[in-house]
Amino acid sequence: MNVVTKTVDAQALAAKKKLSAQFLRKGITIALLSGLMYGFYSAFLTLGMTKGVWSDWYGANTAGLSAFILTYVVAAVGSAVNDTLSAVWALFFAGLKGKVGDFFRCLRTTPGRVMILAALVGGPISSTAYVVGLQMAGSIVIPITALCPAIGAILGRILFKQKLNKRMLLGIAICVFASFLIGSTSLGGDAPKGAALGMLIAFVAALGWGFEGCVAGYGTSMIDYEISITIRQITSGLSNLIILIPIFGLIAGNVQLSTGLASQAFTSGPAMIWFALSGLCAYVSYMFWYRGNSMCGAALGMACNGTYSFWGPFCCWIVLGVFAGIEGWSLPLIAWIAAILMVFGILVISMNPLDLFRKKEAA
Amino acid sequence: MKPLNYAILKHFTKVQEACAEDVINALKGEYGKFRALERKAVVTALMTAEANGLLEETRFEMDKSGVLKVYYRAHEEGAATINRYIKD
Repeated sequence: MNVVTKTVDAQALAAKKKLSAQFLRKGITIALLSGLMYGFYSAFLTLGMTKGVWSDWYGANTAGLSAFILTYVVAAVGSAVNDTLSAVWALFFAGLKGKVGDFFRCLRTTPGRVMILAALVGGPISSTAYVVGLQMAGSIVIPITALCPAIGAILGRILFKQKLNKRMLLGIAICVFASFLIGSTSLGGDAPKGAALGMLIAFVAALGWGFEGCVAGYGTSMIDYEISITIRQITSGLSNLIILIPIFGLIAGNVQLSTGLASQAFTSGPAMIWFALSGLCAYVSYMFWYRGNSMCGAALGMACNGTYSFWGPFCCWIVLGVFAGIEGWSLPLIAWIAAILMVFGILVISMNPLDLFRKKEAA
Repeated sequence: MKPLNYAILKHFTKVQEACAEDVINALKGEYGKFRALERKAVVTALMTAEANGLLEETRFEMDKSGVLKVYYRAHEEGAATINRYIKD
């Protein structure tokens, strides 16, 4: 099996070690940046949803939208506008780099179809499960969804035989606990009836995101990462617009209203500027998520991306609290403590921390 | 015509081993106009394929101009996976 014939000289060996170290470092940096960009995407999306027509929907509500429409339909419209603009960015950059032809060629292949499936599971299906879970069980579902890096790592082991040892499991557990700590700050005494089912549905969301992370990460070893993300954002944007919003409209008893809301959202200039920015951040975030997972494996890649549970509140605090001057946005001390814990958890996944001391002793 | 990344992986099911330069030389006839067919991008594609178990490293050497060349091959399982997902 192992037919390795290495002609090793010292110079080549040093260059090879450097190349491998650079690759891992680049993978970790990209995966961490995916978490940071997720934070900015969340912040700009939230800011966009306070401007233009959104300020009326979530404020005076002169249109008289029901609680169901505000919770489900308007939230889905926000997600659809963001993902559609993100898809436009993805197509723009793919065009700039001459990859549009390969994008269409990939769509007709098995890996392309698998990427579409991953995008559907992680996009509209998980996002809807998350919102429904949040409505049924309250904020307890937020820390539940923090389990997705652990689920991704386990699925990566089962589906693609990726490396997962006890040390890596410990590191993942530390990261999940840290995300749990941040999520717990938003816990309220708001567990209504049907909370258990709501928690189960939220777990489906975590399962979906874990599935998407590990499957799309593996798929990105076959499909170029800029094409992978174009498939993802177009699938997510279109499925939100064509399937999810009309379904929510149908449940609310007025399909025309939901499409009307979407068209109002798309033509609301003051909000669209921020949606364009959130779409750009989402494009970079998801592309780096896929690429980081493909370079580091699902366990390490998803743990690095999982730092979004710190970057989310951090970026919201910077963009909404500091930049936009909106009151009520701050970052609790526990988030900073959890961030340090996450760094330690990522270190434990990527290497044996004891090796750091061993290297010092050797020197 | 296959997407460029597919052609890169498929190349390893047809040869014993290859490095990034070999891949570029083999594909430049059909994919010469593709901007992604350059050394840095191909090296990253090969290392990503290796990280996901599709390829394995066979050897490496330094050429006369001091450029590191890493050679890879598609082992039995890797080749089977590539052929299962990427058809001719």
